[in-house]
Amino acid sequence: MRVLLVEDDSELAHGLKRALEEDGHAVDLAGDGVSGELYAREGAYDVLVVDRMLPKRNGVTVVENLRGAGVSTPVLILSALGEEDHRVEGLNAGSNDYLPKPFSTRELLARVRALWHGRDRAGPVTRLSVGDLEMDLLARTVTRGGRRIDLQPREFRLLEYLMRHSGEVVTRTMLLEKVWDYHFDPQTNVIDVHISRLRAKIDKDFETTLLHTVRGSGYRLEA
Amino acid sequence: MKLGLPDLLRTTTFRLALAQTGVFLFLTFALLGFVYVSTAGQLTRDAEDAADLEYAALAKIYAQGGLNALNQEVIERAAAGGESLYVLADRTGRIVSGDLDRLPALPEGAGQRTVFEFEAPGPDNVLAARRARGRMGRLLGGPILLVARDMGEISAIVLKITNAVWLSGLVGLGLSLFAGVFASRQAARRAEALSRTARDVMAGDLSRRAPVLGVRDEFDDLAKDLNAMLARLEQLVHSTRTAGDAIAHDLRTPLSRFRRRLEDALDHPPDAEKDREALRRAADEADALLATFNAILRLARVQAASNWRFERVDVSAIARELCDFYEPAAEEGGVSLVGAIEPGLAAPGDQGLITQALSNLIENAVKYTPAPGRIELRVRRGADKGVLVTVADTGPGVPPEDRGRILERFYRMETARTSPGAGLGLSLVAAVADLHKGGLVLGDGLGGPAGPGLQVSLRLPAAAGV
Repeated sequence: MRVLLVEDDSELAHGLKRALEEDGHAVDLAGDGVSGELYAREGAYDVLVVDRMLPKRNGVTVVENLRGAGVSTPVLILSALGEEDHRVEGLNAGSNDYLPKPFSTRELLARVRALWHGRDRAGPVTRLSVGDLEMDLLARTVTRGGRRIDLQPREFRLLEYLMRHSGEVVTRTMLLEKVWDYHFDPQTNVIDVHISRLRAKIDKDFETTLLHTVRGSGYRLEA
Repeated sequence: MKLGLPDLLRTTTFRLALAQTGVFLFLTFALLGFVYVSTAGQLTRDAEDAADLEYAALAKIYAQGGLNALNQEVIERAAAGGESLYVLADRTGRIVSGDLDRLPALPEGAGQRTVFEFEAPGPDNVLAARRARGRMGRLLGGPILLVARDMGEISAIVLKITNAVWLSGLVGLGLSLFAGVFASRQAARRAEALSRTARDVMAGDLSRRAPVLGVRDEFDDLAKDLNAMLARLEQLVHSTRTAGDAIAHDLRTPLSRFRRRLEDALDHPPDAEKDREALRRAADEADALLATFNAILRLARVQAASNWRFERVDVSAIARELCDFYEPAAEEGGVSLVGAIEPGLAAPGDQGLITQALSNLIENAVKYTPAPGRIELRVRRGADKGVLVTVADTGPGVPPEDRGRILERFYRMETARTSPGAGLGLSLVAAVADLHKGGLVLGDGLGGPAGPGLQVSLRLPAAAGV
């Protein structure tokens, strides 16, 4: 897919560009807010990655302008200011995700993919399925191979998020933010324990494993 | 500092005093003008009108009866000794009859108004210069007629009034200037005290405070605000300094470990498997470094910033969710996490920070409680209507003498040196408690084989004070 990266730190920009390209994306670079906005209006991009602090025009303003002009391309804002109020400000401006620096490259790649897939799956969905795992969002039931699986409400939301992003790498931070709405780093392996409990319910008695651990990155639900 | 005159002239109060004096002067002149117009002006106009009438009457007599009739009339009127002066002269200017010995200069044209001076005996029979105002002109055929009113006495009255106004104006001017100088000297001294404080602070003495006289004037208000600002600044600078020290202290060891790992890998002959492992561990080390760094920044921000927007935060709900969140991990470690949470308890605060604080408390308990153990998370209404959150565990606990130090930033119990990021957790909770004007108290926990256990109580007041 095509990614526009608007970032003024050229070393970071080229590092991220290379990483995104290795991940299979075509990447254009813009070094300031004004040209970034221009590129984003003109080019057909699948995802925009915009730094918050940019020369000439603030990243949040760029997003506001783009949304005002009817550009609906998913936007990920990068920022050194990872605090709550800035995150909320970024999301209010119309960005779809917010990633505070410093972040790992894997985290960025995972989020860019999630944004891209998220766009295709926007809209009301009542059923999700991955392989023989089925989720009915209205009846709040989960079955695998026709066998009913009982989940706690949190487990249900965790699985729902994984199913909505099936095939993609989902990082621990993403789960923390999207499933629990927590914006801090737990220093213990809390997420891993939640995952292993979920795994015990959906994978344990079945031949094929659906919930995979991606070493150093996170998890992937895939048939 | 003593204020010289040039300095004094620059002060705002003095300028105000000066402006006030200007207004005063203007009013004085206006009053003077009004008095003049309403007294002297009116009298002058009356005199002129009277002279005009008499002049016209005499001119009519001349027109009807000729020079002799006029002469007769002038002699009679002069002899009557009224308020008016009459003079009749022939065409050459020689006096024929009337009150004066000498004819004043003749104005151009027929029957013009004139003002002149003449000498006449005053009340004490001494000749004095007097002023007269009237009408004078050459009549048809050449004779000159003058009718005037003696203005001498009128002038004296006007002069007295005018002098009185002038005098009071001068006295008032002097007084207002004096008051201005006095007031500006006072004000300048107070302002000087404030700017001296500012200069001392600029020179690096952040503990300096401006004097407050207790007279509750604007300068006291200003001094109080300035002092509050300085106190805040001092606190900020202090917390920045401490953050700097903490960063140096907390990051030095892991950074050197990080460096050593990379050097190790470089020093040994290349081995794909080992190198990968070294790199992976170095990356983990970097992540831990970043986490610590973030924690330090967050803590500094909580301590430094005062512009948090507080809203109603449902502490019970946060605790309930965190309990669910941590319960599996605790159980995995052989520790049961039990919540005793009164529902619906709320306090004004920052949702994110309170969540973070509670999670730090639970996480600490999970980290330090050995299996098999128990952690109790309680949320209940405190004595002061506030919300009281307590986390008690069956871990080793903290000796009473260490409990003060454990709350200090970056203090880490020696036994916990190995766990990354520890030490910051409770400091952040303490900072959050401070921010919400609440409190944090450490005590003995549930007790167990490992020791008395630790109980941490976070109190959030019902209303965040100022």
